[in-house]
Amino acid sequence: MSPPKEVQFSFFRPATESMRREVRTASTVLLFWFFLSFGIPVAIWLAGLGDPSGLGESFLTRARFLGFPLHYWLIAQGCTIGYVLLCKLYCLLCDRRFRHASGPAGRPGA
Amino acid sequence: MKNFRVFGLTLVALLGATGLAFAAGEEIYQIQPGFKKTPAMIMLATLAVYLGVGFFSKVSSPSGYWVAGRGIGKFGNGAAIASDWMSAASFMGVAGLLYLKGWFGLGYIIGWTGGYVLLLVLLAAQIRRFGKFTIAEFLGDRYDCHSVRLIAATVTVIIAITYATAQFKGIGLVCGWIFGIDYNDSVLFAAGVTLTYMLISGMTGVTRNQQIQYVILISAFLIPLWILIEKAGGVGILPQIEYGKILSGLMEGEVSPAIGGALTPEQLATVRREFLPWGTGGNIYHFIALVFTLMIGTAGLPHIMVRFYTVKNEDVARKSVLWGLFFIGLLYWSSPVYAVLGKFWHPMGGTEVADIIILSAPERAGLGSAFLGYLASGALAAGISTVAGLLVAGASAVAHDWYATVFRPDSSEGQQLFIGRVFTAVLCLIVIVTALNPPALIAQIVAMAFAVAGNTIFPAAVLAVWYSRSNKYGAIAGMIWGLTMTLLAMSGWILRVPAFQADGILPATSSALIVAPLAFVINIVVSNLTTDKITEESRAKMDNVLRKLHNLPGRVDTP
Repeated sequence: MSPPKEVQFSFFRPATESMRREVRTASTVLLFWFFLSFGIPVAIWLAGLGDPSGLGESFLTRARFLGFPLHYWLIAQGCTIGYVLLCKLYCLLCDRRFRHASGPAGRPGA
Repeated sequence: MKNFRVFGLTLVALLGATGLAFAAGEEIYQIQPGFKKTPAMIMLATLAVYLGVGFFSKVSSPSGYWVAGRGIGKFGNGAAIASDWMSAASFMGVAGLLYLKGWFGLGYIIGWTGGYVLLLVLLAAQIRRFGKFTIAEFLGDRYDCHSVRLIAATVTVIIAITYATAQFKGIGLVCGWIFGIDYNDSVLFAAGVTLTYMLISGMTGVTRNQQIQYVILISAFLIPLWILIEKAGGVGILPQIEYGKILSGLMEGEVSPAIGGALTPEQLATVRREFLPWGTGGNIYHFIALVFTLMIGTAGLPHIMVRFYTVKNEDVARKSVLWGLFFIGLLYWSSPVYAVLGKFWHPMGGTEVADIIILSAPERAGLGSAFLGYLASGALAAGISTVAGLLVAGASAVAHDWYATVFRPDSSEGQQLFIGRVFTAVLCLIVIVTALNPPALIAQIVAMAFAVAGNTIFPAAVLAVWYSRSNKYGAIAGMIWGLTMTLLAMSGWILRVPAFQADGILPATSSALIVAPLAFVINIVVSNLTTDKITEESRAKMDNVLRKLHNLPGRVDTP
């Protein structure tokens, strides 16, 4: 018999079904992460391109949310609350994955 | 321990008598000079608690010293992550930064929180599955290469020293304020306390203390807010939301009635600039580059990553990131409140206001001198716990990865523990010496810690977990590229080359947006070019680590 072959994989080509599910969970969360971290600043930037003074004033800076200027709230609280929720989402998705994988008796990783 | 307390008190009494020179600050934002009896007693009592906890969590095995015997739960580890993370700089500096930099400064907040999402999703569980002692060990075993191990250990030590040194700026400010002693004495005093309990207890004591420290520092940070927001005209229910109205008012020129209630048109223009996106310098590229660098830097900081070795299992590892981030969030949701209230009472202040924005808060809130002591204990807790975490990470890199793995693989557990303690002390001495003669550009050098971690450790760790073909040649090439480029950008910045300045094309503190993706590419390309050079034996070892990282069925090795 030939010697066992090394496992071959990457983030985009997972080796097994359980890894494939893990990667899918991770990519879902990373997608939201990307949107929060870069999508929101870029939106504030795009909206502010019309401001001739170059300070980025726009409807986002004029709008008010919970009393805040919206552009300030989005970064100061929107993103950070979003990150905590994303971590929660990831934990939930992992719990569900393990429940599927190990059945009612199994405890993940114990 | 008792002796030390007596020593501390004597030291304080001696120095308190001489340290009365303190420049008067702004009217509202000033701190009283001299020795403060009640706060000092409170602070010394909390220090005694840390030492006591350290003493009772005494350890006798290397795994207890390094990774707390892996018995730490999700809240405990979450609080420890938060406490490790929340340095004196976060505690005292972020509000000041937001006061000076307005909207743009928020980039630091999302950079320092978003990194945890990356850490959680890409690395935390896998690091726990691997389950050894240090990050250098993880990279060294995964790539089956001592050079990778040594580079990673060196980076860990560099980060530990620079980052810990910076903590003493905050610690010095606090001790100077409470005891009326000068910066040098504060450094020696705080270093003495930190070192004593670390040597006594190792990671178990540090982790337990970090939980206590988190509670002290977050409560000290939050309590004044409720009183301050009422003084500023809020209802005093949830300051973190109520300051929004004050901020909106500021942007329309409303300030505290105590200073006139309205800004002049020129003042209004200045304040508006600060709170508009691009009013304090920098554009969208600089913002994104900053955020990205801080994020992957956070995810690559060895003293944070090592936290996942201290938990029971990967489920706890994941949940402790969640709780850690939430605990960190409590601080970062509140820092802007201080910054905005600072503007409300003091719209035109500069760094002199920003520096003491937190320390002067209890006085403004009229909370009495006992609370001052409590807040100072919080700030000191923040500084000391971060220094302790860094020293453990740095010393373990030296003792575990250099000594016990590479140079003396046959050393006994007792010897390793001894070397660990010796190097904790040695690192602490190095930090003290650097802190006593701080390089002029200390802030810049600290910013480098994030760039280094993001450009070297993060790409190597992510590819180690997620790309099976990545091998030692790729890892070495990628890490050297990352380290070189970071150092190059830093030297360029210090030598004032325009391209590496804060508004240049490759800002030194935000270099990872360009450098890190290239580090990934280099690692991948070099690994693919050198696949044939890896020996069969090395392949088998790497394969075993990979299977462990991903819970794959064990390799059926036929001899």
